[in-house]
Amino acid sequence: MKFRTLLSLCAAGSLSLLTACASTEPAQDMSDFDPIEPVNRVVHGFNGAVDFMVLYPAAMWYRDIAPEPVKTSVKSFVRNINEPLNSFNALLQGDPDQAAASFQRFVMNSTIGLLGFNDVAADFGIPYRREDFGQTLAHYGIGGGPYIVLPLIGPSNLRDTVGIGVDYVANPLTWGAENSDTAEALYLGSIGLSALHARYSTLNQLSELQKSSIDYYAALRSLYRQQRNTMIRNGAPAPVSDVEGESASLDFDVAVEAASE
Amino acid sequence: MANSKIAISTAAMLAIAAVWAGPASATMSSDIVAEVAVETSAAGVIQSLADQAMSELTDRSLSDDIRRKKFVSLMDQYFAMDVVSRFVLGRYWRSISKEEIEEFSVLLQNYLALNYANQFKEFNGEQFVVGNETKKKKDTFVNSQIVRQDGPPVNIVWRMRMFGDRFKIIDVSIEGLSMGITQRDEFTSVIQQNNDDVGALTEALKAKTGL
Repeated sequence: MKFRTLLSLCAAGSLSLLTACASTEPAQDMSDFDPIEPVNRVVHGFNGAVDFMVLYPAAMWYRDIAPEPVKTSVKSFVRNINEPLNSFNALLQGDPDQAAASFQRFVMNSTIGLLGFNDVAADFGIPYRREDFGQTLAHYGIGGGPYIVLPLIGPSNLRDTVGIGVDYVANPLTWGAENSDTAEALYLGSIGLSALHARYSTLNQLSELQKSSIDYYAALRSLYRQQRNTMIRNGAPAPVSDVEGESASLDFDVAVEAASE
Repeated sequence: MANSKIAISTAAMLAIAAVWAGPASATMSSDIVAEVAVETSAAGVIQSLADQAMSELTDRSLSDDIRRKKFVSLMDQYFAMDVVSRFVLGRYWRSISKEEIEEFSVLLQNYLALNYANQFKEFNGEQFVVGNETKKKKDTFVNSQIVRQDGPPVNIVWRMRMFGDRFKIIDVSIEGLSMGITQRDEFTSVIQQNNDDVGALTEALKAKTGL
């Protein structure tokens, strides 16, 4: 209980700090802002070591051992556990249609989808969409703030870290975990499965990136920022202003001019 | 209601235009018209890049080395490499000479070939579909998809700009992740870590590509 109260206070505190720089357009971060880079690089190294010893071998084992239907079921289950939060955050973003869709998915998949292990809602044409509190904050114009590499969790930023805290407090499963051992087991199990699934689904891309990049840390940092931007736009193409904005300082236009000289 | 009215009047205009242009265009052979149309549209350029890549790079009997060389020559043809090279160097392109930029450009092409050319070896039944194009300020964005049998399609957006009378590629985004921006962020970080010395990046690229 104490931990939850503390977390809520922290979240509320940082929230009031962040909202001070809010605007009406959804936030799109155009450059890396990493004032605590030396610390982040240390945590990045630590995470890499943990990954190498635990998560990576587990994901490799999962890839080789688990049959395809099992992997599909795990993916559905992990997504389904998130649906209450997806619905909650869509609602906060003023998108009741998406909130209803996520809720409908949750009800359908938890019942006829057998506890979420089957994504029957997708067959009915209701696609999955992830919405977290970090995206909700961004929807109201709050930028990412400083980049933070979280221990065990990985790339994040101040806004999204606050988002993780709020989502933790808002998650019905974590309320249940306080009072019921079953709910707690379900919650912890879902975290384990989420981590396994997330690592498995990025096995190829991350190995490629690690092999090909010159500065793996910087490449991850850039990709995290761009991926969050895309999620905040819900996959829509970047608006014209941001196309220009992205190249404002290190400009394509300048590059074109220079090249033609 | 308003929409259909507009549609009708547009159709009427087109019909009038066709009648007007009728005698003149009738003298031209229709396949020449089609060919010109393909070459001048940004989407047409992407289609021809895709066709060429499919026929030249997917052959499994090719050695990795040859495939990379072909990849580099495709980039020469379709990418504005002098622009891309400057872009990925961020503000640091100003601190090096024109010759150094040209050297860097060759390294960059070979580095990208090293990372991406082999993707074509594993090409297996996927389809490349060129979609519509949208113009935003100076650039034209061409949408395309790789349609896979075992998973959702992958969205690829090509950022193109006119140079002279030709469209050239200046950036590629895969599922919202821009290669130019990712590479710029990584490269400028490497340069920064080495006291703003571009030479450190060139050395690292040489080590990677073996050039």
